Amino acid sequence: MAAEPFDVIVVGSGAAGGTAAYALTRAGARVCLLEAGRFYDPRSETPMFERTAVAPLRDAGTPDKPFGFYDATVDGGWVLPEEPFATAPGTEFRWFRARMLGGRTNHWGRVALRYAEHDLKAFSRDGLGADWPFTYAEFSPWYDQAERLVGVFGSNPGLPDQPDSPPGCLQPPPVPRSFERLIMAGGARLRRPVVASHTAVITRPINGRQACFYATPCLRGCSIGANFQSPTVLLPPARATGRLTTVTHAQAYEIELARDGTAKGVHYLDRRTNAHHFIAGRAVLLGASAMESVRMLFNSRSPRFPDGIGAESGWLGRGIMDSTGSNVWGQFPQMEGLPPFNDDGVWLPHVYIPWWAWPEQRAGKLPFTRGYHLELYGGRLEPSADTFDFFDSVSPFSYGARLKQEAQRYYGSFVRLSQRGEMVAREYNTVQIDPILRDAWGIPSLRFDVRWSEQELHQTAHAQQSMAEFIEAAGGKLVAPLPKDPAQAILPPGRIIHEVGGARSGSNPRKSVTDSFGRVWGVPNLYVIDGAVFPSSAHKNPTLTIVAFTLRACNHIQREMRHG
Amino acid sequence: MVDRRKTLSWLLRALALGASPAVHIDLAQAQSAQRHKGPLGNRDASPAAPGDHGYGRDPNLLHPHVTWPLTLSAQQKGVVARLADVFLPQIGTSPAASTVGVPDFLDEWISAPYPQQQADRQVILDGLAAMERDAPGPVNGLATAQVEALVARLQSRAVAGQGAAAQFFSRFRNICLVGYYTTLTGVAELGYVGYQPSATFAGPPPEVLARLGV
Repeated sequence: MAAEPFDVIVVGSGAAGGTAAYALTRAGARVCLLEAGRFYDPRSETPMFERTAVAPLRDAGTPDKPFGFYDATVDGGWVLPEEPFATAPGTEFRWFRARMLGGRTNHWGRVALRYAEHDLKAFSRDGLGADWPFTYAEFSPWYDQAERLVGVFGSNPGLPDQPDSPPGCLQPPPVPRSFERLIMAGGARLRRPVVASHTAVITRPINGRQACFYATPCLRGCSIGANFQSPTVLLPPARATGRLTTVTHAQAYEIELARDGTAKGVHYLDRRTNAHHFIAGRAVLLGASAMESVRMLFNSRSPRFPDGIGAESGWLGRGIMDSTGSNVWGQFPQMEGLPPFNDDGVWLPHVYIPWWAWPEQRAGKLPFTRGYHLELYGGRLEPSADTFDFFDSVSPFSYGARLKQEAQRYYGSFVRLSQRGEMVAREYNTVQIDPILRDAWGIPSLRFDVRWSEQELHQTAHAQQSMAEFIEAAGGKLVAPLPKDPAQAILPPGRIIHEVGGARSGSNPRKSVTDSFGRVWGVPNLYVIDGAVFPSSAHKNPTLTIVAFTLRACNHIQREMRHG
Repeated sequence: MVDRRKTLSWLLRALALGASPAVHIDLAQAQSAQRHKGPLGNRDASPAAPGDHGYGRDPNLLHPHVTWPLTLSAQQKGVVARLADVFLPQIGTSPAASTVGVPDFLDEWISAPYPQQQADRQVILDGLAAMERDAPGPVNGLATAQVEALVARLQSRAVAGQGAAAQFFSRFRNICLVGYYTTLTGVAELGYVGYQPSATFAGPPPEVLARLGV
């Protein structure tokens, strides 16, 4: 392997690494992709039509498969015994990993919203965190490309928090489902928008991919390639160039520098055999997932960088973020006992509630400065292990004929509203190398010290109240009263699986780790292309922005390579 | 070993708060992480006891099967069937719980080496033993009316707030509901329609929209 002359070594095969492999091989570069997990092919492995009735525990989540037996993630989870991590006293952090080709593009909510100018320049608004090193006008062409590559349905309602896409970028959204129409009616009463979601599922064929056929649960993956997964969307066209070499089971752990200070290549080990390898390239791109890329930088120590590559500014490992998340469940009498009908749709959200109070917030009338949106789940999903979770409250102590009647009555009448909000980047929210802990292969592990601030708690209190208002305005009842303290409602950091930051991009080398292309300051051929580069993280799922950032970085790399 | 009673109390609290199932897992794992608390904070959040018999992180999803040994004897499974058929009896063409495999599913569930199922295991085994003690004779030999009376007594104890009875009633009923309504028979009774590929999605039919008032 080491003998191959590669132009670019890419670490990770998910949204960042997959996009880089796609863009660079098509531009003529010979790319070696290192993936820590196994080969995975959604076309042959996805349990599309397997029924819940035959899955162990009826597809209930377990530590082995946290989102259910059929979930697309294999060799992943919250707790991987071979890959432990530490948390600082008094803190919690959840870290979901997916050791498989395509990484976490295989399981995600696929909400794909563009950042607005005010998202990129949040620091300029409230003095917290840092601005992104480019404007929306500079970045938006890359969103255009990203949307066309990923395949996103949505609409352009002209909202301040949701930039319109140019014609030809978005696909037509599907019509709303029953429970979504109820919430839309509630929104109309509240004079708050409920609009088409931007979701990474195609409703029209593109790039040889088949359109969604409106059946089977999306989070199992998609054998027809209608949703966005790196192994179906990004890697096949990269492979077709003949310039992609993929090495699976390859755990990258260190970047080696040449005498001239440039990156020479990557040290990795084969997870199955423990054999260590080195692979050289003209450029190295880290897309291992935000926290793994930061870990690799910290673990790449040399006389030139005694604390790790990129650590000179003191910003490596700082400014860790996740999205805020909390839920409120409603029960809707109008949905009780409906006649049978197919309401699966694309399975993922058709509509969502964009951040509507942006003008009020901008005027300083809210006790928090960053926004959130609300997502809707529920309705007439396939009955599953959690369908009856609320029966102790809606039908306590019933049994016999009455229990059967109540099961039919209440099935499909529950809707969950979920907050997804922006967390402010704080210098004190850090990840670093734990002084003791190592993984099963002896690589030093991470230690998280991340906590919510008053900002996130105020936002969550507002979101909880808003979700209750939506449910009640739509004619529903809360399944349980709202917790009095938002700290009880907010999920722990990391739980939304939007963890980003730690190697933030910026225009000042003393205050950031990379430049605006993800190039690590001081190492001109080493790039970070995943969520680690986020200086701030809007309430919008990071994936689309990671793809757009990577496309922009790869364009820069092509130009650099052309100039030698 | 996970403190089962504590796990269960967390699960029940999570249910009362209306948390999603994913949150249950979080709680169980948070608890597991607690055990490793040291002077430098939490280190090594070890797995929440998948044991040797879990299906692992990379099972064959196209050929699902249960990998763990089962628990119940034929006699115990008979008791589960008698009780389950009182919770979900045959009504007209709607079958009784035992005829759609609910006792086997309950055995599969309480035998699984995962935290939520292990917590349920204790509640169910203790509850079954208590039902036997409370019965006028072996439950398997009772007349249907006697089993119904047994469940009626369990229910009144649960309503009266007796902790063990309430937990057993809640968990036994929930496992029966899941076991029944995730079968193709149960799915049809609830009126779920899906797994039908279609070139278009028309949305809910007009009579449904009229019922919803939208």
